[in-house]
Amino acid sequence: MAVEPRDRASGAVLLSARGVSKSFAGLHVIKNVDFDVGVGEVLGVLGPNGAGKTTLFNLISGDLGLSSGQIALAGRPLSKLPAHRRAALGIGRTYQIPRPYGAMTAFENLLVSAMFSAGKSERDSYRTCLAVLEDCGLSSRANRPAGALTLLDRKRLELARALAGEPKLLLLDEIAGGLTDEEAADLVSLIRKIQHSGVTIIWIEHVVHALMAVADRMMVLDFGSKIADGKPGDVMADPEVRRAYMGIEA
Amino acid sequence: MSYSNVIVRRQTTSSVIALAVSVLIVTAIPTMPYWASNGHIRWVIELSCLIAIAQMWNLLAGYAGLVSVGQQAFIGVGGYVLFVFANNMGFNPFWTVPLSAFAAAAVSIPAYILLRRLEGPYFAIGTWVFAEALRLLTANISYVNGGSGMSLRVMAQYTPGQRALGLTMMSSLLLLLTVGGSYVLLRSRFGLALTANRDEPVAAASQGVNVKRIRLMIWMLAAAGTGMAGALYYMAQLRITPDAGFDPYWSSICIFSVMVGGVGRLEGPIIGALLYFFATRFFGQFGATYLVALGLLTLVMALFSPGGIWSLLSRLVNWPWFPVTRVVVNQSQRAGEDQECRSGADRKRGFGDANGVNGTKHVDAASIKPGRETYQL
Repeated sequence: MAVEPRDRASGAVLLSARGVSKSFAGLHVIKNVDFDVGVGEVLGVLGPNGAGKTTLFNLISGDLGLSSGQIALAGRPLSKLPAHRRAALGIGRTYQIPRPYGAMTAFENLLVSAMFSAGKSERDSYRTCLAVLEDCGLSSRANRPAGALTLLDRKRLELARALAGEPKLLLLDEIAGGLTDEEAADLVSLIRKIQHSGVTIIWIEHVVHALMAVADRMMVLDFGSKIADGKPGDVMADPEVRRAYMGIEA
Repeated sequence: MSYSNVIVRRQTTSSVIALAVSVLIVTAIPTMPYWASNGHIRWVIELSCLIAIAQMWNLLAGYAGLVSVGQQAFIGVGGYVLFVFANNMGFNPFWTVPLSAFAAAAVSIPAYILLRRLEGPYFAIGTWVFAEALRLLTANISYVNGGSGMSLRVMAQYTPGQRALGLTMMSSLLLLLTVGGSYVLLRSRFGLALTANRDEPVAAASQGVNVKRIRLMIWMLAAAGTGMAGALYYMAQLRITPDAGFDPYWSSICIFSVMVGGVGRLEGPIIGALLYFFATRFFGQFGATYLVALGLLTLVMALFSPGGIWSLLSRLVNWPWFPVTRVVVNQSQRAGEDQECRSGADRKRGFGDANGVNGTKHVDAASIKPGRETYQL
């Protein structure tokens, strides 16, 4: 189900967040954040370390519960749903620090997502998983235990595992860190390919040039609050963003 | 790329042999009354119970991440359900053995509701407290003769031959359900979710696995298998007391067998239970010294070989008995990729033998025909 650019412009909202807040024992990590993500859009998320970007992902994927506010996927409130139900609804995610199933092979890591997130039969999952492994450059490591992969391959596995679940909304948490320029370019073209297949993406990334290459829109968080949201060029030119993110006085 | 040349392999030569041997053992046990001595039959019954409870504890600790030191709760419940139904209510004692499994599973539900919020060591202590509470409760119920325990008098109506036949048939059934059942379970879709849950529960949940339901199911299945083993064990003993049935030593046996044999592998608990059984037979006479030696062995294994005897063995020869993994084989290439997987963790060892690495016969991946256990894509 390829989404044409005009569909993206049609403004159908896939994910909407209203007044989203999260606090841990009085420490406010996310403060009253509102945003929408349109169907087929790529939203880039920037922010200094500790700005609450990963926490925001945890709230969307259901790893953490909201303190207040609402998150809805295609109009359906998510707040009461556990993580595995959200995965079945089409939310796929990667972890910044890879969390592979260490004793299982890379291929089996993907099978879990294909079978439990996309809800396919085991036989139907085999082909999907092999194709995704190839897309992510992991074909030669299909039978390796995930725990024995290098850090770079584990990061690739994070992306591959999320893709095997055939998500509608893909949450990418810093998957470009540590890549060479060439590898980053490959990653960018892979993400474009994912986008063209109709997947909506929210991408947290410090590698700004990679993010700029694919993001339709950018959002910047600082100390748990949203400080900018708009076209990538405008956001990067915003004086407040330059001060908060790059430490450049405007 | 087309995947017409790719197959997913689930069996190895060694596992096909192991499967055949297992079927042979399970069918041979009920014929024992016709050719074996009573002493050996008793050995086999006890050994079946030990393998069963160790395998169940392995499911809990090795796959669901639930470390229980209260498995004696289910041994006791299984045993007492058998004695009550057969002795007090007049049911056929042999058919009551599988029934005890359901009773133990039923008892495990309220226990889980009480304990599910506890983590790690707190959960372990909670299970122990639960088992102790059941022991004290049983000792105060006059219907089951309180602390003095019960004798299975109904067995007197059967001839020794009938008893031996019934007990050996139940031993076979117990092994089939606990070892065979675990094997089928772990190879299934459920097994994939279970292993993912063990390795990374947070990631498993975010990839669609219902982690809570999986833990409850494993807890209940383990209780059922342990309960059935308890029923069979005390049926052979003909006598049960609260202190024996709910003895924490049962959990020590589980921990020893699984830790020394190899946790998180189906082969481990079988090896561990065999080791415990024969060590007790040959060195049990040394009493406390022997127990200290067993404890030291567990400690040494935990420190220097966390994968147990099985992981040491599979470093020597890669012949898995009950493989649960899925190996992708590209028939158009040489099996070079398989070789790479040998560098990894223990669970995945054992598939390199097809490459002739250990001096075993070289089998080209292309010569493996897609059969019932391989899946052509």
